[in-house]
Amino acid sequence: MNEIEHYVAPSSLEQAAEYLQRSGEVTLLAGGTDLMPQSQSGKLKIKRTLMNIHQIPELKGITIEGGEIRIGALATITEIMQSELIQKHLPILIEACDQFASDQIRNAATLGGNICNASPAGDMLIPLLVLDAEVELASKPNGSLTRRRLRLTEFFVGPGKTRRAPAELLEGVRIALPPPHHYARFFKFGTRPALDISTISIGIAGVLNTGTLSNVRVAFGAVAPVPTRAPRTEQALEGRHLDAAAIDAIAAVARDEVKPIDDIRATAWYRKELIHNITKRMLTHVAQA
Amino acid sequence: MNGAEKKARFIAPDTLIGKRIPKMDAPEKASGKTRYIHDIDLPGQLYGKILRSTRVHALIKSIDTAAARALPGVHAVITAADIVNQRPIGVAKDHFPLKTDKVRSLRDEVAAVAAESEQIALEALKLIRVEYEDLPILTDPAEALKPGATLIHPEPRQPGGQDALKPSGPVAFTGKPDNVAMRFDYCHGDVVQAEAESDVVVEDTFKLHYVTHCCMGVSGMIADFDSSGNLIMYSNTQVPFLHKREFAEYLNMDPARIRIIQPAIGGGFGSKLDIYPFEVICVFLAQAAKRPVKLVFTREEEFISSPTRQPVLLTLRSGCKKDGTLTFRVVNTLHDNGAYTSWGATTPFVMMQTFSSLYRVPHCDYHTTAVYTNNPYAGSFRGYGNLQATFAVEAHMDKLAEAIGMDALDFRLKNAQAQGEVTGQGMEFDSCGFKECLDTAAERSDFRRKFAENLKNRNSSDPIKHGVGIASMLHVGGGAKIYPSDGCGTILKLDDFGQVTLITGASEIGQGSETVLSQLVCEELGLPMSALTVVNNDTAITPWDVGVHASRTTFIAGNSALGAARLAKAKVLAAAARKFECPASDLDLRGGHVIKAASGEALIDLPRLMRNLHFSDKAELVMTTFYYEPPSSYQDKRYKGNVSAAYAWASQVVEVEVDTETGIVKMTRITAAHDVGRVLNRLGIEGQIEGGVVMGQGYALTESLIIENGVTRNPNFRDYKLVTAPEIPEIDITFIETMDGEGPQGAKGVGEAPAICVAAATANAIYNATGVRIYGLPFTPERVYRALHGKGEKLVPLTAKAA
Ligand SMILES: Cc1cc2nc3c(=O)[nH]c(=O)nc-3n(C[C@H](O)[C@H](O)[C@H](O)COP(=O)(O)OP(=O)(O)OC[C@H]3O[C@@H](n4cnc5c(N)ncnc54)[C@H](O)[C@@H]3O)c2cc1C
Repeated sequence: MNEIEHYVAPSSLEQAAEYLQRSGEVTLLAGGTDLMPQSQSGKLKIKRTLMNIHQIPELKGITIEGGEIRIGALATITEIMQSELIQKHLPILIEACDQFASDQIRNAATLGGNICNASPAGDMLIPLLVLDAEVELASKPNGSLTRRRLRLTEFFVGPGKTRRAPAELLEGVRIALPPPHHYARFFKFGTRPALDISTISIGIAGVLNTGTLSNVRVAFGAVAPVPTRAPRTEQALEGRHLDAAAIDAIAAVARDEVKPIDDIRATAWYRKELIHNITKRMLTHVAQA
Repeated sequence: MNGAEKKARFIAPDTLIGKRIPKMDAPEKASGKTRYIHDIDLPGQLYGKILRSTRVHALIKSIDTAAARALPGVHAVITAADIVNQRPIGVAKDHFPLKTDKVRSLRDEVAAVAAESEQIALEALKLIRVEYEDLPILTDPAEALKPGATLIHPEPRQPGGQDALKPSGPVAFTGKPDNVAMRFDYCHGDVVQAEAESDVVVEDTFKLHYVTHCCMGVSGMIADFDSSGNLIMYSNTQVPFLHKREFAEYLNMDPARIRIIQPAIGGGFGSKLDIYPFEVICVFLAQAAKRPVKLVFTREEEFISSPTRQPVLLTLRSGCKKDGTLTFRVVNTLHDNGAYTSWGATTPFVMMQTFSSLYRVPHCDYHTTAVYTNNPYAGSFRGYGNLQATFAVEAHMDKLAEAIGMDALDFRLKNAQAQGEVTGQGMEFDSCGFKECLDTAAERSDFRRKFAENLKNRNSSDPIKHGVGIASMLHVGGGAKIYPSDGCGTILKLDDFGQVTLITGASEIGQGSETVLSQLVCEELGLPMSALTVVNNDTAITPWDVGVHASRTTFIAGNSALGAARLAKAKVLAAAARKFECPASDLDLRGGHVIKAASGEALIDLPRLMRNLHFSDKAELVMTTFYYEPPSSYQDKRYKGNVSAAYAWASQVVEVEVDTETGIVKMTRITAAHDVGRVLNRLGIEGQIEGGVVMGQGYALTESLIIENGVTRNPNFRDYKLVTAPEIPEIDITFIETMDGEGPQGAKGVGEAPAICVAAATANAIYNATGVRIYGLPFTPERVYRALHGKGEKLVPLTAKAA
């Protein structure tokens, strides 16, 4: 039996932060698409208080503010997919949404949940990493609402573990508007086109200039304990003219850089092969773009 | 009728046969009104839960249930020690519902609880302490056969221990000197001689995996005793009449006191053909608690403790002559039986038919050893061994054709069975559209052209390769005589309003039998579908039927319904003949009326005639009964005989795209040609084919129950990957109507057929695309990728001795 003793649904960020500050024993509920299966299977125990964060207005919406796009933690995958702002400025996020779960799940699943769940296979995390997104955390340590920002690359600590303190809420993410000629693509490999967990996933972004990428960011999913940037691959790719030999060489660096594990979905060997072959495929597309 | 003037009314002939008739239960199901076992609650009902083993193979040293019993809301806690004279269940009677001295697999039932809520029952399970002593684990059937291997069911069973049956107990399983659960040996002709005379011989080993049924409705039942001690079971069984008898045996009851009511069943596919421990345990709980007990599985439990499709290791050796004549086949298989014996062990009955009789094979040897291990146990599953057998046979049809340089289709046509043939196994093909199936599937898919084109493109630089493959199947289509009767009874009642109640022994498990049976009756009685009500789910009402299996319901229950309808029609026409003073042969039934057969002129509407009959001085009701027994025969001890009254045939062409850089195989099109005898309900039969094809697709590409060291690693739909809508290819279906002489309106069974050859054809398509043949299933991206890179699994051939 689940021993949830209290259920709260604060209607402002202040209230929520205050509650969190007072009582440590709180589990936050957003879409519940991770929380419910995990608590049912015993992987996660819901704490004494369940806080539904859906009534908190500050966590909602997708806006553009001072050269930044802000996506509220409660934005659902469906909302992101249908947002014209995202479509215009950050189409790589749409690509990820399009391969995310099923319609039913997308309607409930939130971006904040995907980030705080911190799965190495979380599909929104790879595009956010190559967009160099920042997370915005809110808390009320000494009577007043305090916010801090953290680069997403620094946020993940391990599977399901982040630098979010128990008294903090994820308010949203902020992404600087990409520069002109920005190129960003996401690829997810699973055995089914719908409802599958990534065997591996790849994000590549940079500024495209006659077949070369600069300011390169590359991230890989499901090949390490956390979704991770790939600095060696980025270095190999930075400014490099993408002919066949270069693409082969960069793909080989990518394969060597990742350290996946064997699990029931795939072996480490196969994951490395996929990283190699799909990186190559994606870079071939870059060269043709 | 308005006005006095009566104008003669003529009713034109019409037929329901071959029409697209929506399933009668579809509106209820689509609107969420269908009541499944989950939706049924009895007053005073308790909730049952089962404590399963946490060890794969271990002695049970002690079970402490005191704390569970003390939990408020708990009404009964039972273990084997609480059941007097517990009897073993299952096909080989080797399985105690509640385990006594030993657990033999991770699914094993150790204790059970009945409580006022599911939560309390679950809480109680947590309070039960079981002490185990681990035994060596056997999960490889080949290891299990080696001398000195740990015995799963040692003999005698633990002298003095709880497993030893009491002298007063029933005759039952007493253990085994080795781990062999069952053996099958079949032969016709002389394979040694035939091999010597062959120009080409090929041998390969195939490995077929675990999959499970994934019924949308999980297993469950309610057991309820009335105050006279009669047992009413609300059950999902596919075989209510067999179970009534068997339950009586296990419960030490008079079968007359057991009644089985089947709520709507959320899918069967063979999974509900055996009696499982949970069912007997649910009855034990109801006995102990003296309250009705409902026990419904969670999805995880369904994955862990339901039977699987039979996993098989199989070595096939085949030969042919240069002119393309098949010469022989030798088959050795090792069946992983799991810890207990269910129907999976008996799949050789069907497998050997495919080896001996799908194509003309003059010489055939077939051997199976089913071996106990500590794995989950295998049951019956749509296709019953035929998916596995067809996978091997059709790989060799391609290989032999290639070896002698013959076209794959010509080679098959040359060896295909034809009408009138009697096979080495004694099967008699009174109707056989096999060659038409081959030709049709090949033509509609443009098989020959694509096959040649793909071969040419194999070495192109495009990483995506295209492939096309063909495979065919033979399956019983007129029942299967394996019990004392393969029959089905029908009661037909026509009421005062011309409404018909069809009371049939045949269960509806989603396959659409209600609709097709109604259709046959309506066709005979000249009535619209709306005139029919079907009662088919209560052993206290319905006449006997052997159950839903072997694709038999349309054929057997159809003939039975037709028999009853014909008797009713004769009665009605006789009454009308008396009334209209003409010979009955001048009359017919059409459009709800008695008509003049020659002109179609309506004489009287059926309700009026029925009331005339009923409320006359010679009051008569039209109620008929009919029992149909097919003209099939038992196999003899050597597995020979014409076991079915008709046989179904099919050929399917599968087209794929193989991404050689990821190993992912995409099915783009399936062209299916099925000899179904005759199409009765076109909508229903298309649904059966599509559903079966998708089940075959899952078997071929994505579905796999991963068992490691006896542990099911993926008991959930996240990691057990069913095919989802976007992957379903375009399916082109053609029906070959051979009008079987014995079938109802010429129809044959089709339920299992569509799932059978998809994997086999897919393997051939991947080979056509890439030049690489993969001998194990499923074709997951990683398996395919490994095979393409020379890292495929190496399978050790089985010799006759090893098997
Ligand atoms: C069938 C199915 C398919 C799926 N497919 C995919 C897929 O394709 N790709 C993918 O990446 N994921 C997938 N998921 C996982 C899941 O849907 C996503 O991770 C989703 O984004 C989680 O969001 P949620 O709102 O449901 O989170 P919840 O389950 O509500 O929460 C997840 C975790 O984050 C915490 N949390 C949530 N919001 C906040 C916040 N604002 N501040 C602090 N903590 C917070 C919660 O306390 C909890 O620990 C799937 C899940 C299911 C059930």
